[in-house]
Amino acid sequence: MPEVRIIAKNFMDMVASMPAMKLDKLYENAFICEAILRSLPPLAKKYVLQLLHIDGPVSAKLLAEWVLPDGLSKHKVAVDRLVQLRVFVEALDSGTLPRESMPSNITVRLPTLEDLETYALAQWECFLLHLISPSHVDKTLNISSSLMKVFQRRLLSQRDREAPKLTESGFQFLLMDTNAQLWYIIREYISNSEERGVDAGDLISFMLELSFHVIGERNIIKDLADLGLVKLQQGRKESWFIPTKLATNLSVSMTESSSRKEGFIVVETNFRVYAYSTSKLHCEILRLFSRVEYQLPNLIVGAITKESLYNAFENGITADQIVSFFRQNAHPRVAQRIPAVPENVTDQIRLWESDLNRVEMTEAYYYDEFPSRDVFEGACDCAREWNGLLWEDSKKMHLVVKSEVHPYVRDFLRRQK
Amino acid sequence: MASVPSKHYTDDISLLVVTLDTNPFFWSTFSFHFSEFLSQVLAFLNSILLLGQLNQVVVIATGCNSCSYVYDSSSDRNHASTNGTMPAIYSNLLHNLDEFVAKDQQLTTAHKPGTVPSSLLSGALSMALCYIQRAFRAGPMHPQPRILCLHGSTDGPEQYVAIMNAIFSAQRSSVPVDSCYIGSNNSAFLQQASYITGGIYYRPPQLDGLFQYLSTVFATDLHSREYLRLPKSLGVDFRASCFCHKQTIDMGYVCSVCLSIFCEHHDKCSTCSSVFGQTQSDVASADSRKRKAS
Repeated sequence: MPEVRIIAKNFMDMVASMPAMKLDKLYENAFICEAILRSLPPLAKKYVLQLLHIDGPVSAKLLAEWVLPDGLSKHKVAVDRLVQLRVFVEALDSGTLPRESMPSNITVRLPTLEDLETYALAQWECFLLHLISPSHVDKTLNISSSLMKVFQRRLLSQRDREAPKLTESGFQFLLMDTNAQLWYIIREYISNSEERGVDAGDLISFMLELSFHVIGERNIIKDLADLGLVKLQQGRKESWFIPTKLATNLSVSMTESSSRKEGFIVVETNFRVYAYSTSKLHCEILRLFSRVEYQLPNLIVGAITKESLYNAFENGITADQIVSFFRQNAHPRVAQRIPAVPENVTDQIRLWESDLNRVEMTEAYYYDEFPSRDVFEGACDCAREWNGLLWEDSKKMHLVVKSEVHPYVRDFLRRQK
Repeated sequence: MASVPSKHYTDDISLLVVTLDTNPFFWSTFSFHFSEFLSQVLAFLNSILLLGQLNQVVVIATGCNSCSYVYDSSSDRNHASTNGTMPAIYSNLLHNLDEFVAKDQQLTTAHKPGTVPSSLLSGALSMALCYIQRAFRAGPMHPQPRILCLHGSTDGPEQYVAIMNAIFSAQRSSVPVDSCYIGSNNSAFLQQASYITGGIYYRPPQLDGLFQYLSTVFATDLHSREYLRLPKSLGVDFRASCFCHKQTIDMGYVCSVCLSIFCEHHDKCSTCSSVFGQTQSDVASADSRKRKAS
């Protein structure tokens, strides 16, 4: 489960963790330089721009003088990032367009931006549905089943002769925002690429270029079209593909895009959830932790109940995830309110979660029938010394210690004999 | 007059509205060539767009008789056509600028020989603010707007009221006005504009490195400004223009009712028609008489 979170955090971490050789090779491409520049923290962007035309080395001391005392921590983060990405060693140089872009005279036949966006979202949702419940989908995807298995590897668990079930990380995956989900999938795709005989470096550079605009390899394109990253356009002789918003968002840093998405959920103080959405996927997600009461053409109404939440907690979803899901997808009308989700609801969700955690289990060993009070007290002290005494009854001479302390207490008792 | 309290910005997505001085009378007398100036500014605009996918740049040309939008990075037209040799941003902007300068020239009226007419800064500021208001109303997720005035021609005292009104409206909507003044003397208007709205006023000492100044000082987004040391204005020229002769004055007469400024004594305020020169008791009794009558 933690791996999902780390991946969702930022794609650029992945680029930054690449070996220097590969990283330098990536920088040969102008698009990657641009994508990386855009993903930098604001201060870092500023530094790059400022230093772009300075030939000689610049001392770190001079750099630090630009900042106000308040900003020193941000400054450090920015500089660390730049060093990590080897921007402060490497110069950003511009290359030429490696691929041919679409001739401008055919732009008439291009779909409109809205079309492209709805297409992208529809395709992505279809893919997600396919991913979590293959039996429910009527539309077919042509992603090979082996590839699908790769994506499902961490998200679904399949027991013998049983329908596949979502794992904990699977549930968490569904609650992440689209961009984070996209990165998870893309990351799996990239890490799997070597097995399919595609160089990971090439793939990354291609993906990053996509965020700008290009034309290219066939097979990858088909996979990406199924994810809704690109739309294939058939011409008479040739065919083009058009990157959608999902693709262009790849190079945008996480915070930017997630804060700029229109939400659809209204949570009321009476635990009712109204979701203005036509999407089947949203309905499925809401069903994870609320009781869906009725479904109108553009509205899903549900109620948050103790039972529905217990169900969710059992599946490994945490209260914080549910609350942040509500918050991130809050309808614009309620998003302006502070807090966007009524406090009594968030409190209750957290309370119900803590209900489940009232009993804490600790593995322990139980001792009784001590030969004498001295031995009993000695054993108690020994357990206390190791910080493992859980419970003692000095009258009846019973003792419970943590299982990790058991060997020490046992040794102590043996020595007493 | 206190400058605006700093607002907290959570991201660095910016909407930059640039007003570009195209006053031909200024540029013909100035040592630095306009084409050189423009090429540095274009590089700067391009780098702003490069910094973030959601960044937006709008350019308003400021002539001496009119102003006009010459470039808007959010409009589709600017993305569609690339003619191979020049990126769309340049060709579009240059084309519009040409048209604008030609049109502005037709409007030119005769001016006193020996003086350089000033650019229509008030108009440009108003247009910039209108554009920003539109962005504000488009929804809660608008980019952080700021205005950058790239000016060189001298202040036109006759625009004093209009410019001050624009400045205060910028202050109210917390839009900082940055000014990069390339003329030889400081511009009092722009100094005040930047001071009141919390923007940066800077006069680059060397114009050859204009791009470096622009990218160092004026490319800073509002989010990063909280953390960076940026040029501070040493002194601001707060002198006002009088309403009667449009002259910049150090000392003058101020209407006690509407605060209009005059360089000489008048019997009646031309703005609110209050009558001056009466004793306090007369005014009070006139007031009470009026109240009784109504």
